[in-house]
Amino acid sequence: MASRQPRFNQQVLIDTTPLPNDIPKVKELGASSAPLLSASFFIGARCKAYNDDYMMCKTEANGRGELDCMKEGRKVTRCAASVIDDLNKHCLQEFHNHWQCLENHNQQLWNCRGPERKLNKCVFDNLKLEKTIPDTPKGETPVHLRKRNIFASH
Amino acid sequence: MPQDMPPVGGYSPVQYKRNLPARGFRPSIYVVGTALLMTFGFYKVGQGIREHNELAREKMWARIHLIPALQAEEDRDQVRRYLADKAREKELLGTETKVYHSDRFVRPTFAVTPEKETK
Repeated sequence: MASRQPRFNQQVLIDTTPLPNDIPKVKELGASSAPLLSASFFIGARCKAYNDDYMMCKTEANGRGELDCMKEGRKVTRCAASVIDDLNKHCLQEFHNHWQCLENHNQQLWNCRGPERKLNKCVFDNLKLEKTIPDTPKGETPVHLRKRNIFASH
Repeated sequence: MPQDMPPVGGYSPVQYKRNLPARGFRPSIYVVGTALLMTFGFYKVGQGIREHNELAREKMWARIHLIPALQAEEDRDQVRRYLADKAREKELLGTETKVYHSDRFVRPTFAVTPEKETK
């Protein structure tokens, strides 16, 4: 509830007091949903350790995770930001094509396999990050590598 | 009076059987054909469900990979508001009151809005 931004009649009234100076600053990700979805598996591939660390910290913080896990949270954000920076640096065109495709297809990953293959290839060649879906049944082609897609509309 | 009697040589036979040619194939062929068609259909449905499960798994893991980053951002924002609230209270009242008998972080049920419009 309280995380919803209060909006009043044609005014935005948000408490904008910054964090105190003794807490290190970190730049937020600032990416919208489609680029995040496009980059998610690469974020997962590079930042798994930080992500797991943060989630474990939150679980074990006994309800004080928001205050006690800020250090881990900054690491998570920096790592995810580094992935997005690298994508922008090395695979800008492929990245852009893929998330534009996601925007145009209701963020359905199975309708954007073409741009996704190009992006995956570029990312693997340049950043050595590979998209893997955990817990895929053994002996089956992972769904993002299949030639035929039943659900793809084109 | 002579009685009415059957005609000599008896009545001609009454036709009670259908005299139409049976259309189409034998019924067993239709049964077998339907069974085959439905088997094929259910096979395709099964394929579709399996692919659907895999797509759902992909989507779920995409979100799982994003949760920590999004949660970290949200938590930082909550802490920022919380600390700002405490500082404001300290400035206005000179004391820091604890609302809850607990050390946990409790998300506020109300949002403090500044007096002036912010960008």
